[in-house]
Amino acid sequence: MQFIGEHLRPGQLGHFFVITSFVAALFSAFSYFRAVRTEQTDPLASRSWLLFGRSGFVIHVISVVSIFAALFYIIESHLFEYNYAWEHSSLSLPGKYLLACFWEGQEGSFMLWTFWHCMLGLVVMRTAKGLETRTMAIIALVQVCLCTMILGLHFGPHIQLGKTPFILLRHVMQDAPIFSSPNYMNFITDGNGLNVSLRNYWMVIHPPVLFLGFASTLIPFAFCIAALWKGEYQTFVKPTIAWSLFNGAVLGTGIMMGGAWAYESLNFGGYWAWDPVENASLVPWLVLVAGLHTLLVYKSTGRALSLTIILLLLSHLLVWYSTFLTRTGILGKTSVHAFTGDGQALYYHLLVVIGILLLLVLALLIWRWRGLPRIKTEEETLSREFWMFIGSVILFLSSMQITLSTSIPVWSPLAKWISGKDFAPPTDPMLHYNNIQVWVAIITGILSASVLYMKFKHSDGKVIAKRLGITSLIGLVMAVAIGWGQHITMWQYDIMLFSACFGIVANIYYGIVVQKAKFKTLGPSVAHLGFAMVLLGILLSSYNKHAISFNITGEQINFNKKTAQENLVENSENELLFRGVASPMGEYQATYVNDSESVKGKDKIIYYNIYFEKRDPKTREIKEQFFLHPDAFLNSKGEAALTVNPSTKHFWDHDVFTYVNVIRGGYLDKNRTDTISYKSNIVNNPGDTVLIMGGYMIFNGLDRKVSDARYEPVDSDLVICARFTVYDNKDKPIKDIAPIYILRNRREILHIEDSVGILNLNVRFENLNVKSPTSVSTEIMVKQTDADYIVLKALVFPFINVLWLGVIVMVLGFFISLGSLLSMEVATR
Amino acid sequence: MKKTHIVLLVLIVTAIAVLVSEFGNFSTYETFASASKQAGKKIYVIGFLQKDKPMEYDPQKDKDHFIFYATDKAGNMNKVIFNGEKPRDIEKSEQIVMMGYEDAGTFHCSRIQMKCPSKYKKDMVVEGKSS
Repeated sequence: MQFIGEHLRPGQLGHFFVITSFVAALFSAFSYFRAVRTEQTDPLASRSWLLFGRSGFVIHVISVVSIFAALFYIIESHLFEYNYAWEHSSLSLPGKYLLACFWEGQEGSFMLWTFWHCMLGLVVMRTAKGLETRTMAIIALVQVCLCTMILGLHFGPHIQLGKTPFILLRHVMQDAPIFSSPNYMNFITDGNGLNVSLRNYWMVIHPPVLFLGFASTLIPFAFCIAALWKGEYQTFVKPTIAWSLFNGAVLGTGIMMGGAWAYESLNFGGYWAWDPVENASLVPWLVLVAGLHTLLVYKSTGRALSLTIILLLLSHLLVWYSTFLTRTGILGKTSVHAFTGDGQALYYHLLVVIGILLLLVLALLIWRWRGLPRIKTEEETLSREFWMFIGSVILFLSSMQITLSTSIPVWSPLAKWISGKDFAPPTDPMLHYNNIQVWVAIITGILSASVLYMKFKHSDGKVIAKRLGITSLIGLVMAVAIGWGQHITMWQYDIMLFSACFGIVANIYYGIVVQKAKFKTLGPSVAHLGFAMVLLGILLSSYNKHAISFNITGEQINFNKKTAQENLVENSENELLFRGVASPMGEYQATYVNDSESVKGKDKIIYYNIYFEKRDPKTREIKEQFFLHPDAFLNSKGEAALTVNPSTKHFWDHDVFTYVNVIRGGYLDKNRTDTISYKSNIVNNPGDTVLIMGGYMIFNGLDRKVSDARYEPVDSDLVICARFTVYDNKDKPIKDIAPIYILRNRREILHIEDSVGILNLNVRFENLNVKSPTSVSTEIMVKQTDADYIVLKALVFPFINVLWLGVIVMVLGFFISLGSLLSMEVATR
Repeated sequence: MKKTHIVLLVLIVTAIAVLVSEFGNFSTYETFASASKQAGKKIYVIGFLQKDKPMEYDPQKDKDHFIFYATDKAGNMNKVIFNGEKPRDIEKSEQIVMMGYEDAGTFHCSRIQMKCPSKYKKDMVVEGKSS
């Protein structure tokens, strides 16, 4: 059948480049491999194989860039005949999010990963010199594996190798009747659109940085394999240090950008939740940093080579493993990211790739294990290498604990088969991880503070003791002051506080006094300083993170601060805000002022205007005032789930973080009723209660004395009022009211209503029924407007800026080290 | 034996001890019946919303209190108190994973994960308050 209105050329081109990139990578890997094999026997042939390898890789890079261009063209031109464009983009999507569409899907993010490998590979090709053939053979081989992910080849009806981003919509949904008409394109006018929670500038910048971090683990991996392959363990050291520094900086930035994204625009209620997806990116970083440290030990002392190689190889393998965890859907019900897996095909595909890489690594290690240079003598206890080694092992063990717990869904079938127990993820992940990782933080914090004071091989104990004595004392004073001021009472976290303070003081002291602030040498102390600040920032912001909605100050679920008794108290951290009514929220008065609709489109986002003000308790002067605009979104696909984005007000020493949890009324509520009727209530005796929404009223009795400005006395009137006191939910009296009943000229009944604004309550004295001289029943009509309301959660994160600053300082430290390493390289050339 | 080896050994033994103790801490998937045998311990129950039973939720009174009935995979029905807001669209859920503990015939739940029938809709997790 001939279909009308399709644009098939970009897809055909794209598919052509997919195949080309795969074949070119395969050719490049093979040529580089041949270049290595003929290195000794036939240098001339080796040279030509090298040139083949290079040109193969360059063709591969050009193809990958072309795939990128073709796919971007499809998304940008809204060619919805392609499944990828239809699934991930829509016409109304602003231009800046088109890139985000690109990597929202599985295929696009594999593309991004491939792309970064290409760029890094080009740099390695130009700089690796004697190791080029071997490193590039590995890089090209990994590229071959990655290319299979987007090949989209079918073998028989059931086996599919990869998923191409250029597949047509009509091929994905073959059975849909719409595709039987040749002009089906007339009906497909718009795409599915980008997931709203991803419509965010973080979605544009976070994935490229994170994927650059993931991709750069390949380079230390390739260099370690090259060293093993060659059986020569000197030339790989410098480039591997440089690449590991780059990798640590970029991956570290990527991870914390994820944290910042979660904090700024997702409603996880924080920047870190020990979510499997977060863990999966943290683990390779921890292992990489451990490997970087043992590599430095190896460079200076010749020790710890085997551990270094294992760690750096593992770091890249763990990136593949984390891809496996987060993309196959195996975590399914354990992650809030709730990735929908691409099912069985990707599951086995990734297993095969991981299996190939693991076999390669194991075979090389076993082959070379006995030949790895080792030093027979023992290191001194007071040496830098000894403690760096211990620190690295602890980082590694920490990463293993995280991996084991994150991988529960992976190993639970096996555990069930053995023990019969059906293991589930920890019910309180925060507690589960924090309880163990706090010790890792303490030990690595203290080590990162003190290890620089020791020298490689041999150090002078007295000098170290003096310097560490001074700095730890200052650190202790600082910790006590902060612990006191911030009420940090759990002893583990007090030790962690000391460890972080000690780290800050010791590294500043080391940088200024010992290193005399010579910029080129400052890398390690700056990075360690940043690390200590990160620890301090995490501790301060999380330990005292508290909800101010519903006035619970200092209550915290995270660090098991609650006693068993406190745990019994079911408390709420969400506050109900009626439109236009000010409610207390911590030190603030918060008012839901109004809401406004975003740009007209089929996906409306509603911004809620929340006004916060803080007054001086005595003078009632306004000390602080600001607006926050959390938003909420109801999908046009008839999905009733509310998608919300938080809004945060930043102060130098704390953040006020809010998001909307439940809404009623306003633009988004279709069930809203505007017709409100009065409800009848009968009271007989003083003390009787009338229930109202948000509280109750107590009847105080009838009164002939009426003093209301709204009532002008007329002689013939029989006038009587019913006195009530209105209480709120918390038994707090709000107001006394007295609706009035008037019998004029013995015929005409008039009412003067009374009201309570805060509850949208109107009360009318409807009728009086005298049964006997002592028994009078009073009919009271109560009307309460169904006001719009939102349920808002507001959290305060104290000193969270210390965390962000710490990350920046740490990354800076990595780059200073990298810069001085590269400039030394230039100088020695 | 080298000092490094001794330290390494100590660290690894500690790590193994921590991991083994962790195994006791890991939660498990249970049924209402097996949950009642370990009352108070936080576990997961996979089940289905009992749609013909009434649901109680009044946000004006307490917005973090939602009562419903659920059937577990073994077919036993149990009353569930969720101390959080009523999850939107729970009526449409195919399956729910409830995290909490059993106490005196009632399941106190602090997290619900709903599996939704539509393939265009991602599963939803709803957090309650800690209790």
